[in-house]
Amino acid sequence: MQVFLQTIIGGVSLGAVYALVALGFSLVYRTMGLVNFAHGNVVTVGAYLASTLYLTSELPFALAMPIAIVLTGAIGLVIERVLRPLENRDFDLMLIGTIGFGIVLDALVIAIWGATGRAVPSPVPSPPLDVFGLRIRTYDLVVLAIAAAATILLVLFLSRTKRGAAMQAVAMDHEAATAIGIHVGRSNAIAFMIGGGLAALAGGLVGPLLYVSPALGGALGIKGFAAAILGGFGSIPGAIVGGLAIGILDAFTAGHFQGYSELVTFVVFTVIIMIRPTGVFGERTVNRA
Amino acid sequence: MTLVVEGLSVHYGGVSAVRNLGFDVPGGEAVGVIGANGAGKTSTLKAIMGLVPRQVASLRFGDIDLSTVAARNMVRHGIGYVPEGRHVFAGLPVEKNLLLGAYARAWNAATRTTLAEVYELFPVLGEMRGRLAGALSGGQQQMLAIGRALMSRPKLLLLDEPSMGLSPKLVEDILAVLLRLRGEGMSLLLVEQNAKLTFEATSRCLVVENGEVAMTGTSAQLRHDPRVRKIYLGL
Amino acid sequence: MSTPPAAVPRTTGTPRMRTRIAILAAAAIAAWLLPYGLDSYAIHVVDVILIFAILAVGLGLAMGIAGQVNLAQVAFFGVGAYATAILTTRAGLGFWVSAVLAVLATMAIGLVVGTPALRVQSHYLGIVTLGLALAFTSWVTNAEVSGGAEGLPGIPVPTLPGIDLTSEYLYYYLELFAFVVALGFGEFIVRTSLGRRMRAMRDDALAAGALGAEVPILRMTAFLLASVYGGVAGVLYAGLIQYVAPESFSIATMFLLLAMVIIGGRQSLVGCVVGAVSLALVREALVDHPTIAQIAYGSVVVLVVVFAPTGLAGLPSRIRDAVARRRGRRGVPARMTPFVPYEMSAAADPDAPAILRVQGVTKQFRGLKALDDVSLDVPAGEIRGVVGPNGSGKTTLFNVISGLYRPTSGRVEFRGRDMTAHAPYRLARAGMSRTFQNLRLFGALTVQENILVAIDRSHTAESWRYLLRPISVLRRDRDLHRRAREVIDRFGLTEFAELAPGALPYGTQRRVEIARAVAAAPALLLLDEPAAGLNGEEVRQLSEIVRSIRDSGVTVIVIEHNMGLVMSLCERVTVLAGGRVIAEGTPAQVARTPAVIEAYLGDSMGDLPEVSAT
Repeated sequence: MQVFLQTIIGGVSLGAVYALVALGFSLVYRTMGLVNFAHGNVVTVGAYLASTLYLTSELPFALAMPIAIVLTGAIGLVIERVLRPLENRDFDLMLIGTIGFGIVLDALVIAIWGATGRAVPSPVPSPPLDVFGLRIRTYDLVVLAIAAAATILLVLFLSRTKRGAAMQAVAMDHEAATAIGIHVGRSNAIAFMIGGGLAALAGGLVGPLLYVSPALGGALGIKGFAAAILGGFGSIPGAIVGGLAIGILDAFTAGHFQGYSELVTFVVFTVIIMIRPTGVFGERTVNRA
Repeated sequence: MTLVVEGLSVHYGGVSAVRNLGFDVPGGEAVGVIGANGAGKTSTLKAIMGLVPRQVASLRFGDIDLSTVAARNMVRHGIGYVPEGRHVFAGLPVEKNLLLGAYARAWNAATRTTLAEVYELFPVLGEMRGRLAGALSGGQQQMLAIGRALMSRPKLLLLDEPSMGLSPKLVEDILAVLLRLRGEGMSLLLVEQNAKLTFEATSRCLVVENGEVAMTGTSAQLRHDPRVRKIYLGL
Repeated sequence: MSTPPAAVPRTTGTPRMRTRIAILAAAAIAAWLLPYGLDSYAIHVVDVILIFAILAVGLGLAMGIAGQVNLAQVAFFGVGAYATAILTTRAGLGFWVSAVLAVLATMAIGLVVGTPALRVQSHYLGIVTLGLALAFTSWVTNAEVSGGAEGLPGIPVPTLPGIDLTSEYLYYYLELFAFVVALGFGEFIVRTSLGRRMRAMRDDALAAGALGAEVPILRMTAFLLASVYGGVAGVLYAGLIQYVAPESFSIATMFLLLAMVIIGGRQSLVGCVVGAVSLALVREALVDHPTIAQIAYGSVVVLVVVFAPTGLAGLPSRIRDAVARRRGRRGVPARMTPFVPYEMSAAADPDAPAILRVQGVTKQFRGLKALDDVSLDVPAGEIRGVVGPNGSGKTTLFNVISGLYRPTSGRVEFRGRDMTAHAPYRLARAGMSRTFQNLRLFGALTVQENILVAIDRSHTAESWRYLLRPISVLRRDRDLHRRAREVIDRFGLTEFAELAPGALPYGTQRRVEIARAVAAAPALLLLDEPAAGLNGEEVRQLSEIVRSIRDSGVTVIVIEHNMGLVMSLCERVTVLAGGRVIAEGTPAQVARTPAVIEAYLGDSMGDLPEVSAT
């Protein structure tokens, strides 16, 4: 039981990061019906930006993160602007276009930061807490708190602000949205920008948990995607549940199958797609804020 | 403010859906465009809105040249649009749908007043304000679509087949609403297949066939004209 | 060893054929002489490039030809290479035995990877295949049998009697042979029945299914083909490098491969090869700056998808079009010639048994009842009209009849058999054919190919013929072409045969779609608004065509808004309103039915009440 709970705790913080990645996927998918294959690479860029600002420029973590988020948000804007001519026309081409951006970002990361990775020390150096015999790292709690705050902010943005409502409207019916005065292109750009920001948030948070390397985003991207699919693509609660589930699954497989944890994730997620492509929260996706 | 349309044509690929259409909607008047389906009615409205590629000799609303206005800015010039098939934002609550109708305005006390007016016009929407639009019945969705367009406080309302798929009773309700809006001085351009509804809601009508105007006249004249029936039924 | 490139079936005129043969011969000689001018490093590079070319052709077949987003091609490559490595070094089998087993293993994996395509397409398929590719890398990096991260060294060089394949110069000829066979076989598929069907499915899976293409089998075939090419490339790679390691089969390699196919032009196999060769050469030139090379080709991929989606292979025709446009107009415009009526087969028998019985069909979409207890019987040999106001459920009814929708309740009997919700391709093969309201022609196929897809009734499962009886495939294809010609000539489309439908006038496209539906030799033809967008003369011709089709023994059901056409063409008319049948009878009968007039005009006219409010 102890081991079981400890494993779950170990999985939850990574799961929260997966959930953030999944949210980025979902947000862009909801507004444009597009899976952004460059998302994982934006996560890598975010992780490097945050760790560079934190380690090299010696900015406080709390300042390094927002700067990284703004910069990756700008990357999201660029991707959307370049691919805009294909919007609502050819989704397969857009998909390949985002892969193209992924290729470029991947190379840029290596060109700027080198092919070897770096370890990022935890910004919260206090010793782990001991709760009923379970060890909980304080940084894990920070990750959970920030991820939760970000999710709540996102939900509030979508449900309480005019711009957020407009973004949802565009997702549901872009022609009707145009007729009531919404600039569809701008709305999509904002979705991409927030998606980019979420990527940096995930990348920045995961830095101290994992090793920051050019391969980081690939693994996080596919797991975040698996999380999004598991929960039901486009659904925010789905992304959170899916993220945590994949994180916990990860922790268990890491314990039991050693190096095969990724393999297990991919197989599970392929099986899910086969059985229920709409995910656990599927069909209600559009109805969720 | 008069809407003036001259020489409006729409082509999709090689198909010409609308050919050289011209008409005007004087301020405060209600004009109907009727015809069987496939006659080019929806294309006409979408072309006015700029939602489909079009050629037009002249498109003016008062002294505004609409031919250069982007579709998303039409609403800012006082033109409301109720699309065919309603197209409400199915995953959003009723009230959010209505508020989005006022997207081009600031959301403030004036918006609240308009919202109250819409609820007064359509009490059922008030009862359902928290319900997802997708869960409403067809008639309620139609009212929501009209309500959403009214939220921008338009001077001219373009309606695309509001009677589609509705029972005669609901069509009567829609008619009552249109007559009331007309009574309040709003201009209406009503595109319909339901000729009876159109004749009762408007003062003048165009009958279109194959993308061209086949007949024009006052609604009172046309309603007794057997040619209208022939255009519809081919006999 | 090397043979001249496999002859590719061709139907175009002889002068063009002669130039092509000349180009092929020149290419063959150049390929033959190439090694004489290269040093040992260069020949190694060429050997690797050829392997990538084979991989790219395989990816092109799946993605470009069949439209299946396949990001697992690199895993197929890896499975082929690793299986060869494991079987030779661990199991001690000979190279060629291992090679055959490796390709079989890759095909098995191909079927596994392709299975998701039965459920999902596009983005989802992309991410699933990518996930499976990552799973493969993750497995070989960790498994003991594959040597973990260090990989497997010591793969033996393949042996051929009398040829020393340790020489990379001679290995080149082995690869060249494999490449020529691979490309030739690919082109053979693309230009004949199987490839035509795959391209049709890529352009419009729905319409392809409605014409009898077995979409699920075609998707699996696409993955099977991609895996064979991947497996062969993997075997050759193992034999060339004699060492396999996980990083050769990484996602970076996958994206490189994808870039080759996109930049070269995914819809043309030769384009894929050009892309593979040019990208590999650029990478070689920038071998000291791999990141710069990667930034460059990533950017080119983005630019290509935005500005030149057909890639390098599409450039010549784009340039030609641009020049033609600048010069004004190209040549004499093609003209549609009159339709040649069919011979009367048999007079319609009024007591004929119903070919189609729709019984109590209800179709519910979420809250909306699109069809509500609809029943109708259509006797063989009739032209039946289905009319009704917008949103009355006409197209929904067609979609239920043709198997696109499963009815919520009720049944559809076709030719005396219960065919409710059978897959569209089964209904098509049982003798049902349809057109679509918004024209669903295969945009990247010529008019003739559109017709060919419909005429072709062979089973995709018989595609083994491509391997074992290629001549019979060619012979059958020639026969299909002859029959397609007949249809094209009859419908007056001769001058359009080689053109893509998208560029044709709308009236012509409508006629192509009807010709295509008739080419499938149906017993029942469903026409969804065939007169939409046609002018008066075209409507008159349409009416003549439909009548003649019926006279040839085909039952026709037509949804139409043009009431003049319905009234003059149809023997009986069924009127739908609000998803229910409100009237059925001869045109004159229904036009007098008050319920019909009310459904259309909102009231029965004639006795309208006075306006009550103003």
